[in-house]
Amino acid sequence: MSQMITIELNGQQQPLPTGSTISDLLSIIGSDGKSVAVLVNQHIIRPENRPTHLLQEGDQVELLVFAGGG
Amino acid sequence: MDLLQLGSHSFSSRLILGTGKFSSAAVMLQAVRASGAQLVTVALRRFNREQAEDDLFGPLSAIEGVTLMPNTSGASTAAEAVRAAHIARELSGSPFIKVEIHPNPQHLMPDPIETFEAARILAKEGFLVMPYITADPVLAKRLEEVGCAAVMPLGSAIGSGQGLASAAMIELIIRESSIPVIVDAGLRSPSEAAHAMEMGCGAVLVNSAVAVAGNPPEMAEAFAEAVAAGRKAFRAGLMQKSGSAIATSPLTAFLGVKA
Repeated sequence: MSQMITIELNGQQQPLPTGSTISDLLSIIGSDGKSVAVLVNQHIIRPENRPTHLLQEGDQVELLVFAGGG
Repeated sequence: MDLLQLGSHSFSSRLILGTGKFSSAAVMLQAVRASGAQLVTVALRRFNREQAEDDLFGPLSAIEGVTLMPNTSGASTAAEAVRAAHIARELSGSPFIKVEIHPNPQHLMPDPIETFEAARILAKEGFLVMPYITADPVLAKRLEEVGCAAVMPLGSAIGSGQGLASAAMIELIIRESSIPVIVDAGLRSPSEAAHAMEMGCGAVLVNSAVAVAGNPPEMAEAFAEAVAAGRKAFRAGLMQKSGSAIATSPLTAFLGVKA
């Protein structure tokens, strides 16, 4: 059984297998990632870096989308 | 052709539509299409897998001729607004950013000091900055000087429907500005939008008045017509007001009655 880490995803605890990348996280939560901005510890992670960016224990991940607003 | 010029971008529509408060994404999209708006505002929100309909990027981008203008709503400082602008540009690829910094949810009045600072930084970084401000001619001029693409004074408080309460101040801003002045917030009826355009505004931004109307797509169309009529009237040149009557018919003697 693989080791697990816990990250903070949009303010909520989210367990993930050790060695997960941002792309893995997006697929776990059912997002294709196309219209989602990803921030890890307040840094923007560009789409081309998501398949290789490894998430670490305690990382704060924010996923943002465009919603209605004036 | 009479185009709205914002930086190097030009638009034939002078109605900018907000996308908040609609009953559903489908109704909002119908309203956007009916309005003919080419600039549409959106806000950044946390992704929620339970509310996939919240993600408007795909459906709005699919409407031909629509450019997104993300806002920085939720920011209460210049630093937060700058960060939101960076995220929004990453997501949309749009150079437009509506700087909106209102720290007090009771009245949603924009913070002029934080707004100026965020606008100055973002304009320097190459954004087309559209700051939402109180109708203050001095602040508007300062924002123009730091390179904003337009200024967006409020007609009245966001979502209040109190119309052009600040009309006199907006007229002063228009008189002094070399960049488009766009009334943002407070408009309730198409006639108010027409009035703003007759005054010489470059555009109007409307959200609540369309979103909570009985029939949002129809109201969007009504605003589009009013904005076009008001703009046409402004270009045609309104007559001067007079304190007394000036006859439109000849007042010469007729049928034995002396003038």
